[in-house]
Amino acid sequence: MIQHLSAEQISQWMVGDRTPQLERHVAECGECRSELEQLESTLVQFRGALGEWSGSAAPPAWRQPVSRSLWLSWPRLILAAVALLVLVALPVSWRARVRERAAETERADSQLLERVDSAISRAVPEPMEPLVNLVAWNSSPAQKNRKVERQ
Amino acid sequence: MATAVANSSDLDDFEAVVRLYWLKIFRFALASLRDRHSAESLAQDCFFKAYKARHGFRGDASVGTWLMQIAVNLVRDHARDRRLQFWKRARLTAVDLNTAGGWLPDGGASPEVAALASEQVAAVWAATESLSERQRTVFLLRFVEDMDLLEIAAATGLKEGTVKAHLFRALQAVRERVRKAK
Repeated sequence: MIQHLSAEQISQWMVGDRTPQLERHVAECGECRSELEQLESTLVQFRGALGEWSGSAAPPAWRQPVSRSLWLSWPRLILAAVALLVLVALPVSWRARVRERAAETERADSQLLERVDSAISRAVPEPMEPLVNLVAWNSSPAQKNRKVERQ
Repeated sequence: MATAVANSSDLDDFEAVVRLYWLKIFRFALASLRDRHSAESLAQDCFFKAYKARHGFRGDASVGTWLMQIAVNLVRDHARDRRLQFWKRARLTAVDLNTAGGWLPDGGASPEVAALASEQVAAVWAATESLSERQRTVFLLRFVEDMDLLEIAAATGLKEGTVKAHLFRALQAVRERVRKAK
């Protein structure tokens, strides 16, 4: 009884691994040869079918993609201008803010100094000022005259 | 296999390259994705990528194999893109499996023979859908694009032995499906 090719051997043949024993068997066995020819024919028909189905697809018109050398386009120019403005405006506003802060500090310092000056120039501390006024009132020239008249 | 153009200067006339290889890339994309619209889009992406990378082409492989390598990568990315998985079910331009046999070229065969051949083509088409992505790619490159094992290895980045193993398994599955269709 003839041992026909197994499924594995048929796949092996189709892949291209054709040993001398396989070749000898295929040459001698009409049934296996027919089996292989049928499978090959089916695959050729499959190829033809796919070819026919996709054959009507014409390639689209090829347009060369826009070169990168045109990178200075309008949106890019606008972006660059905005970036430049920001770069120029930032240091200017920063300097103005520093100047403003310095002026504020100077003003606060001079106010403080004025307050210190006035505190130092007082003869007596602020809480004792009413007493000084009282002494001054008692020793005014009008009061002295009144004392003399009574005597 | 299309004529090899293994020189980067030959890519200068890119319009001619598109004309020469469009059908090959489109056919492979169509058989892989099973959707005409997606296949057209993938083929366009493939040529666009090739155009951008044309100065890096060293001519180690033919232009056809190089383009196919880009297409294989794009098909792989497409298969992995989960966002597309949802739309796959609802695609409008998908290939109808029932009409797969209807593509058969008219070879003047008898109606019985034509019907049987048509059924077998449909069986191959159905079988390729159930293959893994790598098995399908290797199968299509071998039996639709008529590339040899070394060219397939170059296009897929697989070793020749791995290509052979994938092809072997793909053939087993296809033959089993065709046998059942008889």
